[in-house]
Amino acid sequence: MIDQIFGVWNYWIVFILMMIGLYIVISKKSLLKKIVGLAIFQTSVFLLYITFGKIAGGTAPILTDNVNEIYSNPLPHVLILTAIVVGVATTALGLALTVRINKAYGTINEDEISASDLVEYHEKYLEDKN
Amino acid sequence: MIGEIIINAFLVTLMLTIAIFIINTRKVISTILLTGTYSLVAALMFVSLDAVDVAFTEASVGAGISTILFLAALSYLPKEEKEEKFNLKHIYAICTCTIVSGLLIWASYDLPLVGQLENPAHQHLAQDFIEGSRNHIGIPNVVTSILASYRGYDTFGETVVIYTAGIAVLVLLHDGVSKISKINKEKK
Repeated sequence: MIDQIFGVWNYWIVFILMMIGLYIVISKKSLLKKIVGLAIFQTSVFLLYITFGKIAGGTAPILTDNVNEIYSNPLPHVLILTAIVVGVATTALGLALTVRINKAYGTINEDEISASDLVEYHEKYLEDKN
Repeated sequence: MIGEIIINAFLVTLMLTIAIFIINTRKVISTILLTGTYSLVAALMFVSLDAVDVAFTEASVGAGISTILFLAALSYLPKEEKEEKFNLKHIYAICTCTIVSGLLIWASYDLPLVGQLENPAHQHLAQDFIEGSRNHIGIPNVVTSILASYRGYDTFGETVVIYTAGIAVLVLLHDGVSKISKINKEKK
């Protein structure tokens, strides 16, 4: 029974974490917070993959002299190693964009950015009209 | 066995708590530090799931470098978020997320239980890689031998991605940073 519950507990928490990340990305106005939301989503996906690779009673996939040793599945580990590093690259790119947007608009709040865009369009429209 | 399960459950629940705190913090510095903590707890989680290589990468890259990047970006950004009123958009977002997580949790009953040796994920490639690492490549760390040999092209692609991202960041910030500091000086 306890095995049954904890056998899916990891999955449940991972799914809830994913949705918390998604919620932050959708609902928060601050661009920096959105990047944090993406990071949360990302880490939860890593956790899902590593959970798939786990074998109860196994050890880390580093070979020992014992031939009958059970090793956890190394393939998800490799995929996630690649993903972690790529994740940091995308975070860096997102932060650079945010810094650039802050320089151009003076704010990183989504609503204020689109408002100042609207004002600009309106001024241009008035100019064209005259 | 039971101890392992309890540690697992405790760590994931800790991650959940931190993530919930991140939603509502408005001070950017606490958001960043909580994110770093979240990554560190994830690294502990990876250790308990036998993924030691992933754990030290997550601890150094996820919790270390990305926190530093966030702090560096913070020095150019506003230090506090604007207060947001709870509106219809938030309700839509909550509904979407609740429905999707409900569906995913429902689907999780079809997933194999964690840690069973007969799970489909363990049936095909993994055994070949472990044997190949012992007999053909001769490196005791299986993850390293897959990373550098069996899936070497993957790692090459990763390097290309990092290079591209590095170039893009340099291009974006090239005149940006110097001009920002100029503007700041003029303001003073």
